[in-house]
Amino acid sequence: MLTLDRRLHTGPFLYVAVPLCSVVLALLVGAVFLAVNGFDPLVIYREMLTASFATRYGIEDTIVSATPILLTGLAAAITFRFKLYNIGAEGQLVVGGICAAAAALFIGDTLSGPPAVLLVLIAGMLGGAAWMVVPALARIRLGTSEIITTLLLNYVAVLFARLLIFGSNTPLRDPTSTNFPQGTRIPSGTFLMEFGTSRIHLGFVIGCAVAVLVFFLLRDTRLGFRARVVGDSPGAARYAGINAPATALALLLISGALAGLAGASEVAGRAHRLDPNGLAVGFGYTGIIVAALALYNPLAVVPVAILLGGLANAGETLQSVSGLSVPSSISVVLQGAILIFLLAAEIFLHYRVRRVHRLPARPAEGSP
Amino acid sequence: MNAMVLTMAAAAAVASGTPLVLAALGGLLGERSGVVNIGIEGMMLIGAVAAFLTAQATESIPLALLAGLLAGAALALVHSFLSVTMRANQIVAGLAIVIFGSGIATFFGKSVEGQAIAVRISPYKVPVLADIPVVGRILFQQDAMVYASWILVVLVALYFRYTRAGLAMRSVGESPATADVMGIRVAAVQYCHTVAGGALIGLAGAYLVLARVPNWSQAGTTSGLGWIAVALVVFSSWQPLRVVAGAYLFGLALRANFTLQAAGIGSVPAEVLSMLPYLLTIAVLILLSFFDRQNRLGAPAALGKPYFRNER
Repeated sequence: MLTLDRRLHTGPFLYVAVPLCSVVLALLVGAVFLAVNGFDPLVIYREMLTASFATRYGIEDTIVSATPILLTGLAAAITFRFKLYNIGAEGQLVVGGICAAAAALFIGDTLSGPPAVLLVLIAGMLGGAAWMVVPALARIRLGTSEIITTLLLNYVAVLFARLLIFGSNTPLRDPTSTNFPQGTRIPSGTFLMEFGTSRIHLGFVIGCAVAVLVFFLLRDTRLGFRARVVGDSPGAARYAGINAPATALALLLISGALAGLAGASEVAGRAHRLDPNGLAVGFGYTGIIVAALALYNPLAVVPVAILLGGLANAGETLQSVSGLSVPSSISVVLQGAILIFLLAAEIFLHYRVRRVHRLPARPAEGSP
Repeated sequence: MNAMVLTMAAAAAVASGTPLVLAALGGLLGERSGVVNIGIEGMMLIGAVAAFLTAQATESIPLALLAGLLAGAALALVHSFLSVTMRANQIVAGLAIVIFGSGIATFFGKSVEGQAIAVRISPYKVPVLADIPVVGRILFQQDAMVYASWILVVLVALYFRYTRAGLAMRSVGESPATADVMGIRVAAVQYCHTVAGGALIGLAGAYLVLARVPNWSQAGTTSGLGWIAVALVVFSSWQPLRVVAGAYLFGLALRANFTLQAAGIGSVPAEVLSMLPYLLTIAVLILLSFFDRQNRLGAPAALGKPYFRNER
């Protein structure tokens, strides 16, 4: 019989080994899955590796794909770590994108360069945070589960973006696109800078900087300290006089703002217009996997985002490789599998499995 | 809006609320044993794709339903393994189930994208009852799964209240440590109920493609119904009979499109109408917690807390 003993200390080795093993196991199971469905896993994995990590273009595409999920990963990490569950990053990203596009079009040619870009990014963050206000207030004032409210608002946000582009004649919709409606192109003065000839844009650097900021915010500030106490031991927090609702509100709003920033970065850095179909492709959900695999450590979010960005990018590329015809959703299957294995393995971070021998049955009391 | 339109709207609400009845019933079955299930969307999707592919291959409704049921149960088995055996965070485990389930559904759904299903469940008029004015049209001209869902709800309610196994299950959900001392096998009870719940949820997905949606449209097939079912479990205070009322209310919102058009109101953009069920769900949840601040809306006391015997 097996029993679990709590570890008093977890070495750094396990913090790397557990996520790494879950990725490897997920890839192995993915290989079996592919083989069963008549694909050659070796060919596909080699193709994925080439597509995302082995060529210059591949690496560029991977970084571009990693940018939004780096920010949504931080949005998830800053809440999940403290047992708050913002699974609405997808919707906050879309609303952030809408606000960023609106701000960029409003600014027009009056401003350009850093001030214009800054305004666009701030608009995105405000939009994302605003989308979080109702779920956050309902959570802290009434105890309404933020899991369901934030998630359902994702659908509302996507429908709202579609309404703006496909369902009505707003300034966000390009008036010259009649047959195939699309968003108005934002002025080039509000674009995020691209590096050299690559498509990697400033968003990735911003994402990395934000990761460092969030790391120090959680480690060295009063908010971070309070969040840890509230998250790990609500009772102790109450006893210490920590204002738990205010702490939760701050974390949730920051989380929404980070997701909104992801949307702004997609609009100003990649799409250069509001494109509902390109914006709502699951970055919010992938962000949760990124955060979980990073074990909710903001610094670890960066490499994990690059890894999963590569995976998503490879899925897209695979679909277009002739003769393979693997559905691009293979990358979603693999993402799900990675998370499943991580959850199964996480217990070894905090518990040690030990064999115990069953005690011999004691004679019943009262019997001679 | 005349009586005819209202009757039709009510009948449509019952029909489109039925997948919600099945899914929420499955969700609460597992949750009453203490395992949070927010993975309903994923289990519905995998049930839907299994049923769809089986229907295309065999043109048999029973086999398609069975395939959906088994697929949902299989994914629920993964969820129980993570939640019960590996003591994972049950919220994140549910999300993993949603992501994995939707990945699998889109992977296998790609080959049938846009296709209509080969067989469909058709309505069956209950003799005599169907001829009752208004009520007959609303309740007794539906398909067999609607009637089956009522029977299932009643069976689950009776099981909770009057059987030994139901009592054991409720005690596990309220206090696993106590149940453990009483000699109830906590893990086994949680596995059984989560998997049985998953089977019902898979069935809901199967029913969705066999009766409700016109064709397979990748992840758009459920379009968040599973999440509304998660809210419905809360809305019902974990009581089977209340699930039905809630599901039909949401069914009404899901068909607002159809109803408003029938009533001659056509100027509301489709996107706004599609937002209604989600906004309604959020509003209902917030109102519910506004009126019930103290007692956790009737949730099982140990819901979502992994059980470690050593730390009892």
